[in-house]
Amino acid sequence: MGTMITMTRDLDIPGSQSTPAIQSSWQAGRLTMQGDSYPENSYELFDQVVEWVRRFLDDEERPLHLSLGLVYLNTSSVKAMMDIFDLLEEAHGNGREVAVEWYYDPRNERIAELADEFREDCSYPFAITPATTPT
Amino acid sequence: MSRRDEQALLERVTALLADPTHSGHPLFEPLEALVEKYRNQQQQLERLISISDRYQMLALEARQVTQKRYENSLRRQQKLSRISDGYQAMMRERNRALRQDSTHDPLTQLANRRLIDERLLQLETSGQPYTLVLMDIDRFKTINDRHGHDVGDRLLVAIADAMREVLRESDLCGRWGGEEFILLLAETRIDEARIIVERLRDRVSAVTITSCEEKLSVTLSAGISEHRIGERHLTTLQHADQALLEAKRSGRDRCLVASR
Repeated sequence: MGTMITMTRDLDIPGSQSTPAIQSSWQAGRLTMQGDSYPENSYELFDQVVEWVRRFLDDEERPLHLSLGLVYLNTSSVKAMMDIFDLLEEAHGNGREVAVEWYYDPRNERIAELADEFREDCSYPFAITPATTPT
Repeated sequence: MSRRDEQALLERVTALLADPTHSGHPLFEPLEALVEKYRNQQQQLERLISISDRYQMLALEARQVTQKRYENSLRRQQKLSRISDGYQAMMRERNRALRQDSTHDPLTQLANRRLIDERLLQLETSGQPYTLVLMDIDRFKTINDRHGHDVGDRLLVAIADAMREVLRESDLCGRWGGEEFILLLAETRIDEARIIVERLRDRVSAVTITSCEEKLSVTLSAGISEHRIGERHLTTLQHADQALLEAKRSGRDRCLVASR
């Protein structure tokens, strides 16, 4: 029964040309997002992600790790990511262990610069790591 | 009346009322009642001031909270714009790179046929005068056969670099085929074109690359054709091609002007 609830709590959204692939694991305390993000309705897409993060932080006491391989983000996607990072910052302020790892293609240094801009107000571990994954 | 004088008067009146010799005086009772009323009013006033002060404090705090909230939201908005602008700039760079890739030969970085065709059509519709040159590396096949395609490619790159040094900003040089190049010289008459092509041929023949300790260099044959008003660019191209063919036939390493 317990596993059933855990199963339904997780996100597994396949990526498309304009939306990132999103997977969450309540069990592992992990959220991963990869790809470009310029969805037609970004609230529809990101509301469930923000909600998942909020619920995990509220319901659990275990650490939460975000693993990101995001490439292009439109403005509303940037806003959604800022909202998520704010939730993590708040949880971190309450003594929660949270961490972000942002992977980028070393051929595109701009991504690292932009990830660094996101990191600006975050006091929790936020690593920006070059990764040689196929694009 | 100052607060101190007020206090002194009150004390004086209180002392007088406390004196038993005054207790039968007709003013005693009304004065006592007046003092009582005065004390009550003073207390009321103090309460009122204290409440008012607390309201003012609350309003001030609320304003500070609003101000703080506004500053935070402004900061957030600025951060959002900054990052979003960054992504847009990245997109523009990517578009520029894609445009460059789709219009240039990946080996030599010279214009490819797509860009040349675009430019030819532009020239044709604008009616701008131009001269067209077709060039071919002499006996390039021999180099490829004897030294391999790697060496051939290295030579092509070196030649393209040399050409770029000689050409003007407005000239367009493209890779037309394997070892064939095309030059579009806008606003350039045949005599001037000839000088440019000769300079270019000189510069290219000075290029050497080394393969297995052997120094390799090549010569260029060229055919020049000036565009005539009203002529289709394909016709101009055919004339240049014909001139190039003749340059090849008559011994290579030379530049011929199309005979019309």
